[in-house]
Amino acid sequence: MDASQVLQVTEMVQALQSPGGIPNHPIIFMGLAVLTFALHILFVQLMLGTSLITLWGAFSKAHYWRRLASAMLEVAKVSTSVAIVLGVAPLLFVQVVYDPHWYTSNVLSAMWVIAFIFILIVAYWAIYYYYFQNNKHKDKTVQPKARWSMVLSLVLMLVVGFIMHSLTSQMLHPELWKTWYTPNGVLDYSGSKLHAYNLWRFAFFISMAIPVAGAMLVSYRRFKSVRSDADQDYLNWAGALGKKWIKVGSIVATGLYIAWMMTLPETAGDFATSFWGIIGGVLVLSFALWAQFRLKGEAKFCSYMALPVALVIGLMVAISREMLRYTILDGFFGYNFLDYKIVFDWFSTIHFFATFLIVGGSVLTYFLTVAWQAGQTVGVYTPSPFVDRLGTIAIWIISIWTFLFLAVGFYVWAFR
Amino acid sequence: MDLISLYPTWYEPTVGSGWVIALIATFHVLASHTSVGAALLFAYLSNKAYREDREDLLEFIKKYGLFLMVFTYVAGSITGPGIWYSTTVASPSGIGSLIHSFVWKWAAEWVFFVIEVVGVYMIVYLVGKVDKKTHMKITVIFGIASLATMLIIVGILSFMMTPGKEIWFEQGGFLNAFYGTNTFIQTFMRIAFMFTMTAVVGGIVVAGIKDPAFKKEMARKLGGLGIISTLTGAALFQWYLTAVPDQALLVMENRLPEYFGPSIIGVIVITITYFIVTMWQPKFVIESFAGFMAIVILVLGLWPEEVARESMRKPWVAGQYVYSNQIIGRDVPGMGIKSQLPIIEKIGILKAHPFTPDALRTVNEGNKIQAGEFITMVYCSNCHSPSKTGIRPLHRYFPEGIDQARMEKYVKGVLTTGNIAYMPKMPMLDSEIEALSAYLVLNKKGGQTAINKAIESEVNARNHTALKTSVHTTRTTANAQQEAK
Repeated sequence: MDASQVLQVTEMVQALQSPGGIPNHPIIFMGLAVLTFALHILFVQLMLGTSLITLWGAFSKAHYWRRLASAMLEVAKVSTSVAIVLGVAPLLFVQVVYDPHWYTSNVLSAMWVIAFIFILIVAYWAIYYYYFQNNKHKDKTVQPKARWSMVLSLVLMLVVGFIMHSLTSQMLHPELWKTWYTPNGVLDYSGSKLHAYNLWRFAFFISMAIPVAGAMLVSYRRFKSVRSDADQDYLNWAGALGKKWIKVGSIVATGLYIAWMMTLPETAGDFATSFWGIIGGVLVLSFALWAQFRLKGEAKFCSYMALPVALVIGLMVAISREMLRYTILDGFFGYNFLDYKIVFDWFSTIHFFATFLIVGGSVLTYFLTVAWQAGQTVGVYTPSPFVDRLGTIAIWIISIWTFLFLAVGFYVWAFR
Repeated sequence: MDLISLYPTWYEPTVGSGWVIALIATFHVLASHTSVGAALLFAYLSNKAYREDREDLLEFIKKYGLFLMVFTYVAGSITGPGIWYSTTVASPSGIGSLIHSFVWKWAAEWVFFVIEVVGVYMIVYLVGKVDKKTHMKITVIFGIASLATMLIIVGILSFMMTPGKEIWFEQGGFLNAFYGTNTFIQTFMRIAFMFTMTAVVGGIVVAGIKDPAFKKEMARKLGGLGIISTLTGAALFQWYLTAVPDQALLVMENRLPEYFGPSIIGVIVITITYFIVTMWQPKFVIESFAGFMAIVILVLGLWPEEVARESMRKPWVAGQYVYSNQIIGRDVPGMGIKSQLPIIEKIGILKAHPFTPDALRTVNEGNKIQAGEFITMVYCSNCHSPSKTGIRPLHRYFPEGIDQARMEKYVKGVLTTGNIAYMPKMPMLDSEIEALSAYLVLNKKGGQTAINKAIESEVNARNHTALKTSVHTTRTTANAQQEAK
């Protein structure tokens, strides 16, 4: 592309920004987008990885595999819910600073965007169908029914993942948007095509499901091993399997990461050999090394650290991914999201962070403490006075939030 | 370049993009309202279970919770972002204006979504695994978090109709945009209808209760809740109508489908009758009857309500400043937003639109139908489908035999001036009026087949000319090089 063509693209994209501006500095939204994407993709990978274990176990005759499959089905179900709800946040923040790119990409593939909703619902219901077909069996080693529904679920989950991947890839090609909209001189309003993808990139993010599921198995062994009714042989087998999955999965993912970097578009310049291009792959590989050296013997502390380590690596990959986007869209096409018009609104900014940190923090601390301790208790769990008080505090905090929300509203309504 | 914030257009010829949004939104309203109502009902029942030491109530919560988790939380949690997705592709600037105004509110709502997702699993799976007091606390938090999601989203929905305070246009500010009379009334109205849906959907679970005494107790509780909430909601709806702009009432009186009024009255009568019958004879609470009632509410109540809400905002789609065709039609000094109409009046819609193909930026005899189609897609297709079916099809609005001159007169006199109260002003250059009119006339006469043929002919002619020009240029260059040698 010559300079005048690039300038035309820059002007077009800048014209698409929302004229109302954004309520605080764009870097805040970008930071939240990256953080929440890292959380989202971790649970997506956990969902895919544990679904794979569920399937593997479903088709295996080995008793341990079948028991593990049944346990991981529970994780897959919850991970799907959490992945979906966590996915809302990066979806929100990306359209704040990259609205021209996200909206154009979506409209140009509108049919797929709508299909995404229905395919995801079917994929999700298919997991539940499999669950309801098999959850009544006390013996988890019998051959499960309706295995097809679990296969269907995993396949459809990969389809929705690919749709999302394609939409994200299309964002990186503003120079092709008009060509996609007007193929051979005739306007295409149907939104029936997915126009761009990079299979190496898609395969890399999907392959990370293997080490993440491995991390889950390592944590599962540690978590369940403290129960008095634990089957230690089975748990040790699951832990060893997890360790293997972390090591093999990380090496495979590193290979795919390198392939992704080698197939970047020209508009990315020398990103592949830059610090941010290299660090993602190095960290993914380091997960294998970490598992080799830190998950020896009981590994009481490090077993619990496996998932947080996966999150930190995922966060660094998310930053690399964001730097790649910035390199292409700013470096080549001159769209710098940091220049977005700001119309400061401090009230709503503070309101969010207070809700996030105080309400979210207190409630989730209470919820997760209860869930954790109940999971390690045989019989009915009764919390300690301290945990019980955490619950009372959480109720007070969320009640005060609701009162203040209405009180401020009433003041604005009555006196402004 | 004078470009404005317009995106490509997605055109769905069978039902229209507007109805795709409405379909997803209607289903989401059923799922989300039921979920929030059920969360509050759970809080009440769990509290009662703790105080009266009753296992049966917790078992009911577990059963209803699992049912909801599969049918409403799964579908609700996907169709919620699904509304974003559908509005993104059908109305990108509209959703963009809302996202940029309320990003922090949506982000706060997301915090409560996370609490809800973790909470619903705990409520269902920890019955019998934690003591009743702890379960009660989890359920109370879950109930308040669910209510909070509704409080937040109603403020944004109200803004779509009209900003909370009129001074928002001059001063901006999130609080002025969010809180207004409409916000509060709509909140209470939705809370009321939310309990109605909870009572109806709860019937599907009550149907499965084996113990007759407990079934009777739950049927009466839900029936009482349903009757009170339905009557309260109906009364609040009347109050709500006093809080919408006059323009919305005008649209409501003139433009809503004829079935709207009878449908709403019908669903209220049927619903109350259902509750009276089930309270009187709980044995009538069977899964098929309760499921049928949920569908009645969905089809006769929620669908017309969503269609009405979408129609009443016309010609605006957000905050009384973004037109339904995505163009900003009003200055908002408080946010530094300028109307895009003056730019379009100056250079025309084809030059102002960032995605106009180069070959269509200026209308001529060789691109008239294609340019007319492009203008129709931009200006009209969100509310009027150019196809035979879909939302308010365009061809129905013009008489048989209408000719180019008459169509141009209509377009110039009515559309470019904004002389129809519920339609946006659509500025056009004379050449664009000519192109739009030619397209509309051909669409009326020959439908999509004729349009496709005409466009194919225009494109072929253009490609042929381009090829000839290219060959000519190549030959001229070659000759010049030869001569130079």
